[in-house]
Amino acid sequence: MPVTNSGTPDSGTPGDSDKHVSPREPAAPGEQAAAPPAPPAVEVRGISKDFGSNRALDRVDLRIGHGEVVGLLGQNGSGKSTLVKILAGVYDPEPGGHLFVGGEEIALPLAPGQASEIGLSFVYQHLALAGGLSVLENLTLGQRIGGGLSSWEPINWIAEHRAGAAVLDRYDVKLDLDRLTGDLAPVDQARLAIVRAAEDLRRYRTRSGYKHSVLVLDEPTVFLPEEEVDRLFDLIRTVAAEGAAVLFISHDLAAVRAITDRVVVLRDGRVVGEEVTADIREEKLVDLIVGAPARPGESAAETAPVEDRQAVALTLAAMESVGDAIAAGENVAVEHLTDERLHDLSFEIGAGEILGVAGLIGSGAEELPYLLFGARSTGFGALRLGAETIDIGGLSPARSVRERIALVPADRAVLGLSQSLTLWENIVMLVEGEHYRRGVFHRGELVALAREAVGRFLIRPPRARNVMSTFSGGNQQKALLAKWLLARPRLLLLHEPTQGVDVGARRDIYRFVKSAAALHHMAVLWVTTEFGELAEVCDRVIVVTQGRHTATLAGEELTEEAISAAALRQTREDR
Amino acid sequence: MSAPAPVDEARGEERRAERSGSSSLWRTGLQRYAILIVFAVMIAVFGADLPSTFLSIGNLSNILGSQAVLFILVMAVLLPTVVGDFVDLSLGSSLGLSAMTLAVLNVQHGWPVLLACLAGIGAALVVGLVNVFFVVFFDNDPFIVTLGTMTIVQGAIYIVSGSNSVGIVSTNLSNWIFTDEFLSIPLEFYYGLAIFLIVWYVLSFTPTGQKALVIGQSREVARLSGVRVNRQRAWAYILGAGIAAIAGIAYAGTNGTVDPTAGSALILPAYAAVFLGATAIKPGRINALGALIAVYFLATGTAGLELLGAQTYYQQIFYGAALVAAVTIPKVNRERFFKRRRAA
Repeated sequence: MPVTNSGTPDSGTPGDSDKHVSPREPAAPGEQAAAPPAPPAVEVRGISKDFGSNRALDRVDLRIGHGEVVGLLGQNGSGKSTLVKILAGVYDPEPGGHLFVGGEEIALPLAPGQASEIGLSFVYQHLALAGGLSVLENLTLGQRIGGGLSSWEPINWIAEHRAGAAVLDRYDVKLDLDRLTGDLAPVDQARLAIVRAAEDLRRYRTRSGYKHSVLVLDEPTVFLPEEEVDRLFDLIRTVAAEGAAVLFISHDLAAVRAITDRVVVLRDGRVVGEEVTADIREEKLVDLIVGAPARPGESAAETAPVEDRQAVALTLAAMESVGDAIAAGENVAVEHLTDERLHDLSFEIGAGEILGVAGLIGSGAEELPYLLFGARSTGFGALRLGAETIDIGGLSPARSVRERIALVPADRAVLGLSQSLTLWENIVMLVEGEHYRRGVFHRGELVALAREAVGRFLIRPPRARNVMSTFSGGNQQKALLAKWLLARPRLLLLHEPTQGVDVGARRDIYRFVKSAAALHHMAVLWVTTEFGELAEVCDRVIVVTQGRHTATLAGEELTEEAISAAALRQTREDR
Repeated sequence: MSAPAPVDEARGEERRAERSGSSSLWRTGLQRYAILIVFAVMIAVFGADLPSTFLSIGNLSNILGSQAVLFILVMAVLLPTVVGDFVDLSLGSSLGLSAMTLAVLNVQHGWPVLLACLAGIGAALVVGLVNVFFVVFFDNDPFIVTLGTMTIVQGAIYIVSGSNSVGIVSTNLSNWIFTDEFLSIPLEFYYGLAIFLIVWYVLSFTPTGQKALVIGQSREVARLSGVRVNRQRAWAYILGAGIAAIAGIAYAGTNGTVDPTAGSALILPAYAAVFLGATAIKPGRINALGALIAVYFLATGTAGLELLGAQTYYQQIFYGAALVAAVTIPKVNRERFFKRRRAA
């Protein structure tokens, strides 16, 4: 039976931080030997939120005790982000909900930024960093917000600089305080956001005399390589040991299992499960999240149901102009690809083959998709598509589209889709020209085509006229994939295609790509740092270390461990 | 799960960062102070050409004094631009309205000049409030709304003045502003300087200024951080209008007679100075010091051209060219020109 109340008895005086407090069965009143259990650090009761007719949150209850790390799981659209935004004061919940912080009720709705005054500290999914500001300015942003006379106190930039350097030192993070935040790599931006939140928390705790404090982390591991994730976990453990409550929102089940004490699962705006992390198995967790029993040990061979084969075929057929046959699929070869980071890289992809590229961040693998698409101005080499040879230095995105090469970039929201256009406009973007005949733009055809794609690619909500920005990450990714597949590519280049995508959509994407590759004999290049994903989806995997092709794995050796080992090997030898 | 990133990679990244750091530091330094360098060169060239006229106190006084009105307007324009409401086109008309109100009340209705000044400021503040109402409260596009208010206020000026120039404003005002000098420079320059110092200090050294900056850079980040975005924006419009009113008072004092088109010709040069200033000192960021330098850089340039006998319309060309050059030059680098042109 799942533990539903983990009200943790306070371990004593504030700041008593040695014990990592763990949840127990609720003690019946009167049985408690010491004082009654302290109220949870933060608790919400009956929080609901409607967006028009869409109920994003439905009477959600959630509590986090002092020193407890609670994971919040759920697919995109389940309401996780909405809950965070309500706590941040960005959204106003429906009347009837209650918020308690440190046992005291706080009137809802919260004003933006009020959260920091009551002890809540955030790392947001999009990091909430101002790109045009320096690292120091972003780091100290939280300190500027007080109103009244304090807004006119002079800032001593020299002292702030010193203090900022000390803060970075304390968390062992190396950043140039004067650098523009927008110029930092995403990893560094994530580090900055985390340091800022931890520091704000610390300041609050000192100021408030070690009362409750809450750290909310929304998808913090997305930009972090594994060693950083470990450091983040250490930070979370330290913070929790000091008595702060931590809310950890993530798609990363492994991370959640590693760091949380309890998990709460949201589906369609409701809490559908609350479990002690150690007591629940991963498959059960996935079941709760997705809402359907997960087939254990689902192998690659099973993931191409009839429906999807027809789906993609129909979609592609719909685009076939009269007399223009789809090419029968061609082998792709990359020869002597050289760049700042890549050295004479050569490999082949068979028609219909999914080739994975495994490389650590910094190995140069992450540049591959962009180079082959012509999105980078550096780099040269040759790309052979069937009988044609193309000079990579002469490629540009426009040319690549003409050559039927497709790119699904990692930063889909900015580089892949137009957030302000509608779903259908995004999906048909590449094939619009084919529906402009004799001076007439056949809009209706395009919308119908888009609707069909929406249905086949399981995009939810299936409203083609909705603006792109209203769709969740997983659905946006499916839309992006649909857009490219409609253009009948010979070569599909994917970079981190399931980053920030929920479990259900992830599986859909695997299925779609596999079906398209199989049916259309499309060559696929799949570049990601999720090596488990490569093991599951790809036919072959090449390993790139420090810009060189160092290993190839296929068949039985294609396991996550083998890939990781191969990716690491070269570097170790160099040391 | 994702694979670990090796220590090597981090070290490599640092090395790369250091390398690019030192060369880009030089480039950034150059970019920040480019306008000062060009300014110095310009003074040298004009000075060599016309040593007795250009490098004289009279010329200096002329440059600093005659541009004072524009200088104050530039400070006004700076405020809504910093918070991200990029254009408040009505500030030029607010200048005109305040000047005309002052003139009409003082000359035609005999109001004491101080009271007339206050009325002028009041009139401009009303315009500011109207802008706040329609832009901030109703969340409209600032460009469109202020275009509208600018035209409305211009019309109001014509009504109030009966389409005539109104003068001559009380000599007291003219004295305080224009005739009286300190170190041979008209007092209005010092008023402008005082306003500049306040604006510069607040923007660079107070939390209020930081908040304004964040709003301008990333409104959503500001909101998430708890900044009262709309409040700050509202204040920016109102204070901007107030400062524009002071520019109007300076205008009235300088010219003695206020014509209905006062201020309308100044709004575009004011924006030119603000955007030109954004390329200096703190490149990419609207900043007060940069704007100060820009105003006087442009003024010196036109004064020099004038002394050389160039017609006044050359000034327009100079202004425009300086602005376009200032934003383009940082983007020019070897790569852009010498990289093989890609087939589109």
